[in-house]
Amino acid sequence: MKITKGKRFSGGTHIPDRKELTADIPIEIMPSPDIVAISLSQHIGKPSVPVVNAGDMVSVGQLIAAEGGFVGANVYSSVSGKVAAIEERYNPNGTKSNYIVIENDKNDWSAQPLPEMEDKTAGSILQRIRLAGIVGMGGAGFPAAVKLMPKQAVDCLIINGAECEPYLTCDYRLMKEKTDEIHTGIMLLAKALKVNKVYIGIERNKPDCIKAFSEYDDITVVDLKKRYPMGSEKHLIYSCTGRKVGLGKLPADAGAVVQNVATAYAVYEAVELNKPLYERVMTVSGKGIIHPKNLLVRNGTPLDMIITYCGGMRDDSAMMIAGGPMMGPTMLSSNLYTTKTTSGLLVTTSDEVDMSGPTPCINCGRCAEACPMRLQPMLIDFYAQANDFEKAAKYGGVKNCINCGTCAYVCPAKRSIVQSIMLSKKKLAEGGK
Amino acid sequence: MQKIIVSDTPHVRSKLTTKRIMLDVIIAIVPALVAGIVFFGGRAAFNVAIAVVSCCLTEWIWLLIKKVPVKDIFKKFDFTSIVTGLLLALSLPPLDYKYFYIPLLSGIFAVGVVKMLFGGTGKNVVNPAVTGRVFAFISFLGAMTSGWIQPAFGSISGEVVTGATVLTDMLAGVRPTLSNLDLFLGTGVTGCIGETSKVAILIGYIYLVVRRVIKWQWPVIVVGVTGLVGVLLNGCDFTLFLPYILSGGLIYGAVFMATDYVTSPANNLARYIYYVLMGVIIALLRKGTGIETVSFAILLMNLIVPLLSLHVRPRPFGSVPFGVLVKEKFAKLGKKGGKAE
Repeated sequence: MKITKGKRFSGGTHIPDRKELTADIPIEIMPSPDIVAISLSQHIGKPSVPVVNAGDMVSVGQLIAAEGGFVGANVYSSVSGKVAAIEERYNPNGTKSNYIVIENDKNDWSAQPLPEMEDKTAGSILQRIRLAGIVGMGGAGFPAAVKLMPKQAVDCLIINGAECEPYLTCDYRLMKEKTDEIHTGIMLLAKALKVNKVYIGIERNKPDCIKAFSEYDDITVVDLKKRYPMGSEKHLIYSCTGRKVGLGKLPADAGAVVQNVATAYAVYEAVELNKPLYERVMTVSGKGIIHPKNLLVRNGTPLDMIITYCGGMRDDSAMMIAGGPMMGPTMLSSNLYTTKTTSGLLVTTSDEVDMSGPTPCINCGRCAEACPMRLQPMLIDFYAQANDFEKAAKYGGVKNCINCGTCAYVCPAKRSIVQSIMLSKKKLAEGGK
Repeated sequence: MQKIIVSDTPHVRSKLTTKRIMLDVIIAIVPALVAGIVFFGGRAAFNVAIAVVSCCLTEWIWLLIKKVPVKDIFKKFDFTSIVTGLLLALSLPPLDYKYFYIPLLSGIFAVGVVKMLFGGTGKNVVNPAVTGRVFAFISFLGAMTSGWIQPAFGSISGEVVTGATVLTDMLAGVRPTLSNLDLFLGTGVTGCIGETSKVAILIGYIYLVVRRVIKWQWPVIVVGVTGLVGVLLNGCDFTLFLPYILSGGLIYGAVFMATDYVTSPANNLARYIYYVLMGVIIALLRKGTGIETVSFAILLMNLIVPLLSLHVRPRPFGSVPFGVLVKEKFAKLGKKGGKAE
């Protein structure tokens, strides 16, 4: 039984978590939808290459697209049925990518699960993680196997159970309901990474999870203060180990690899149950949803079907968000599909979200004080408005921003600081610097 | 279903608004305002009313001339002009009714020239209230320095201020006759409307700190540094410390004027440097001129804020530790030296 207190980082802020809407609702298996559209770009890296053609029959768990490169991931079919088309469709963030559209015949016919593993060495576990198409399920979607093969010497594995985004409870429910399975997954990850030190960071608003994981002797539970953005990789590493990840460096440079609890669960399923990654738990919440739920959904499920399954939207719904309200993009329509990284779908009413426009900056400095990276958001905003992106980088430090949105959350003038930051980053990237 | 809204992240925001902050500042000023009116009567109330009305009207008329729709003017009104008007009036002496044009013109100057001309809320380079006061002081020197009247309550120690104010006496080398308690309560103290009763300002200060509008360190640094440097400049007599900080407009300026967001650096590191320098300048100017100089010192310091904000910044999370950086520099220097030999 090992519990340690997390180290406090400067900055960050307390955000009402609004998790009570779904925290006590057990994970429910959503019936498989009539049609799925599975994205070929569900992860960071090269898009996957389809290995099926329109008209082919596929089964549940069949490989439909292979990894497009070293940094890539396999994609498996989440339903059985006929491939209707391979075409471009919109992603929740407004960009477009290729989707494999499959018509579900509802047979749920599974022909070929992954082969039984002969031995469980570090190498074979890594291979299995790669084969099963597992990516970081916290949101970024970086291929898990690549992260587990760092070039630098790494001595600890940190499991991210912070879930600092308001509303989301999918990781919480998973930790509560599948504690043993996640623990097995964590130990498999540790084995693949060849490390002995394993931490799991859990925010204090989930005391039952902290207690549940403290039963295991081989992992250290880090009791984290409830503070946004606790789940940021850099800040989680600091809270758990006291190590700082250098600017522009990777977590592995600080000797740590971070994986999400949902990823650990996917690893358990892939290794122990020979099941590739084609479904995940997500939170459907917000006051605009009639019956908020934690759902186990198949990859590529249309969001409007999820909304219908949860009783539909209230008439005064104002905003649809893919993911959490701090970093998730708003969506113009619900004609979109879940991916391996969709952790939430929020439909909010106008009283939940802020819709007042920006007012002039009064230079109060709350953004700078709250910035977990200790940057100068007001200067980034100021220079971005003036189209001087070089200065936004020089004085504001925009290149080191982690896009957490804490600055804009605390801003009394309600300025669109994140928008300025994104614009600056884009312009700086275009400028070749 | 109503319109679906698409916006940038984050979609949840804190409840705090600029308007709420300004309302908190107004609430914090109320004790000093009440004390001023109790001590100096109708004259004080009259001055405050004129200044506040003048400030607000200036803003509205300016916006009308700029053809901003009337609906928007009231929707966007963020109370900053009320704050400016209050702070300005409280930093003026309890002027006679015949000098009604002084708060009026300073209000117009403060909001019209200092704030609106530079682009409105958040864009002004110097503090409008302080500049308004300095404007009044320079333009109407006679009226501004002849208007001292005795407050409604005499001093507890039974003494009477002989010179213009306690501070001018003290800077001229005369030991203050009033007790520190008198200076603290404002009984028997001549001075500007809002600055006499330190206890009223202190209540406002506590309110601002509790509401997290300001950090408790900010005014403390200004007052502390001014007091220390002042004592050192005046023969290291530490019994002068309390009278030195309790007299004049120092505490008033430190709590309400120096803490203004727009005209002070936004990051805390730069802010602390700003306040230390401000304290030093106040004490030096007091010594050099023999009069109260808090407003001039704040004005001077306002001008270097952009420089401080840009060049004094905390190092980002995960930067190479400062110690290591210095060591590396030295290691490099050592190598270079080695080559030269």
